[in-house]
Amino acid sequence: MFRTKKQKEELANDLVALSKKNTRTADILSRLVRNKLGMLGMIIIAILLILVIFAPVFTDYPYDAQSFPDRFINPCWEHPLGTDNFGRDLWSRMLYGGRISLLVSLVAIIISSAVGITVGAIAGFFGGRIDNVITRILDILMAIPALLMAIAVSSALGTGPMKTALAIAISGIPYSARVMRSTVLTIKDNEYIEAAQATGSTNARTIFKHVLPNTIAPLIVSATLDIGGNIMAISGLSFIGLGVQAPTPEWGSILSAGREFLRDFPPIVIFPALFIGLTLFGFNILGDALRDALDPRLKD
Amino acid sequence: MSLLEIRDLTIQYKTRKSVVEAVNGINLKIDEGKTLGLVGETGAGKTTTALGILGLVPNPPGVIAGGEIYFEGKDLLKAKDSEIRKIRGNKISMIFQDPMTALNPVIRVGDQIAEVIALHSGCSKSEASAKSIEMLELVGIRAERSTEYPHQFSGGMKQRVVIAMALACQPKLLIADEPTTALDVTIQAQVLEMMNDLKVRLNTSMLLITHDLGIVAETCDDVAIMYAGQIVEYGTLAHIFDNPMHPYTIGLFGSIPSLDKDVDRLTPIPGLMPDPANLPKGCNFCERCTRKCDRCAESEPEYLEVEPGHFVRCSNLNGGAENV
Repeated sequence: MFRTKKQKEELANDLVALSKKNTRTADILSRLVRNKLGMLGMIIIAILLILVIFAPVFTDYPYDAQSFPDRFINPCWEHPLGTDNFGRDLWSRMLYGGRISLLVSLVAIIISSAVGITVGAIAGFFGGRIDNVITRILDILMAIPALLMAIAVSSALGTGPMKTALAIAISGIPYSARVMRSTVLTIKDNEYIEAAQATGSTNARTIFKHVLPNTIAPLIVSATLDIGGNIMAISGLSFIGLGVQAPTPEWGSILSAGREFLRDFPPIVIFPALFIGLTLFGFNILGDALRDALDPRLKD
Repeated sequence: MSLLEIRDLTIQYKTRKSVVEAVNGINLKIDEGKTLGLVGETGAGKTTTALGILGLVPNPPGVIAGGEIYFEGKDLLKAKDSEIRKIRGNKISMIFQDPMTALNPVIRVGDQIAEVIALHSGCSKSEASAKSIEMLELVGIRAERSTEYPHQFSGGMKQRVVIAMALACQPKLLIADEPTTALDVTIQAQVLEMMNDLKVRLNTSMLLITHDLGIVAETCDDVAIMYAGQIVEYGTLAHIFDNPMHPYTIGLFGSIPSLDKDVDRLTPIPGLMPDPANLPKGCNFCERCTRKCDRCAESEPEYLEVEPGHFVRCSNLNGGAENV
């Protein structure tokens, strides 16, 4: 049964060939590509990103050029989405505004998930006193409404896109940590976690290799849902002068500033809402597809 | 010195309301290449003993209250965490009861085995995966299946994977916690045969935890019968099967059908095991014993060597037999 040295080498070579063709990443990607809805989400996000990143290519107007005679023009050839109450081209405000909205909300999600996952995993995995202390601190943070928390942090940090992202991220940490903690609690009682420890795996290794990959599903769902909430939180901060400063556009603030014109000139509200909605939709279905692709049990 | 020697091991689960005495001063010994069967009913403390050897008793609430566990001459209870981690999976490994949940569902089986190998031998990734395939073939799984996920295997195949993982580092001691309980009878036989075969080939000692005396008869060299956290009878396979002395052991044999004897009804042991949080003062088995006397209820019986290598914990070995 045991092989000779030469046979072993041959087997090892075969294996390298096999694993090159068939890595786990390739596996996940191929499953992701086969998911039609997920691909639609990816296309939506890709289009949005291209529009936003290469904004100057797609529009002739600067986002802050005011023109009093051109106020409230309905969508037409010259202004594809019309103009706002200062005569600014809405299409260019959408594109430039997306830079802030997408960047800030994504950075905020990444920071809050990274910290939340770590804190939540530690609390859930070790339990006992560590869990108690962490959970009580999270409780205190959660007792402060998220927006109020963001206001407090951003008034301490000042304005600017990255500071806003940090402010929103901090207010989101307790929620993602809570989701993580409860998921870890259900995973860690499984026999394969005990088995991992019985094979001499350290705590850190057990958490990262065995617990985390099993907690991915609820995390992705909550993270993609939070993207929309974050876009609105940016606008909330901007509204009270703490987020992004006017005239820098940003979807949430265009939406909330246009609120008073809703009855007479709906495009000013409809289009930012549409962009926010599309972003959310895109990330949600991409997130769902990603979750399915990461779960080998749903394979084929 | 034996490979593994357990002396007076006591493990308790302490909760606010009560102290559950799961393991009460047990003594065990496993020699190199031998198999010890640890037999007892549910809740007798078998699994707790196994977890105690690996230092994996969940704490809290579990506390190792006393005793020594010598493995290759070293007391595991006094060893540092990092030292025990090097032993786990490498020199002592464990097969868990339920193969359905003992494998991580999101990691491919080959990778799970390779991980253990890489963790302990420090060899490269490709060497580890070559070795993992070798292990899979050793337990009768084709090499191509190493890139599949646990849910693509049947229960018996999963248990083979678990066994391959446990044997990957050629451990000195294999702890098998009811390895066949979750499998059906035909698969049980295959898995047992394979384990026996591998054990001999790799010269591994085994602690086999089970409640099935049939499995014990097939695989073990020595047998320990456990009841309410204590070992009530200990001896070689011949001692226990040909000359059972403790009334509990005799009761166990009375509860299984025999091929040779024609009986209308089996004779089960009446009653239930005592609550381990509230053990009686005298003999733990006293309540259910067929030959109890006044002494049994009052004082704990001594652990006597009735013949060389055959130990029994009963204070009424001779006297009681006449009363039956």
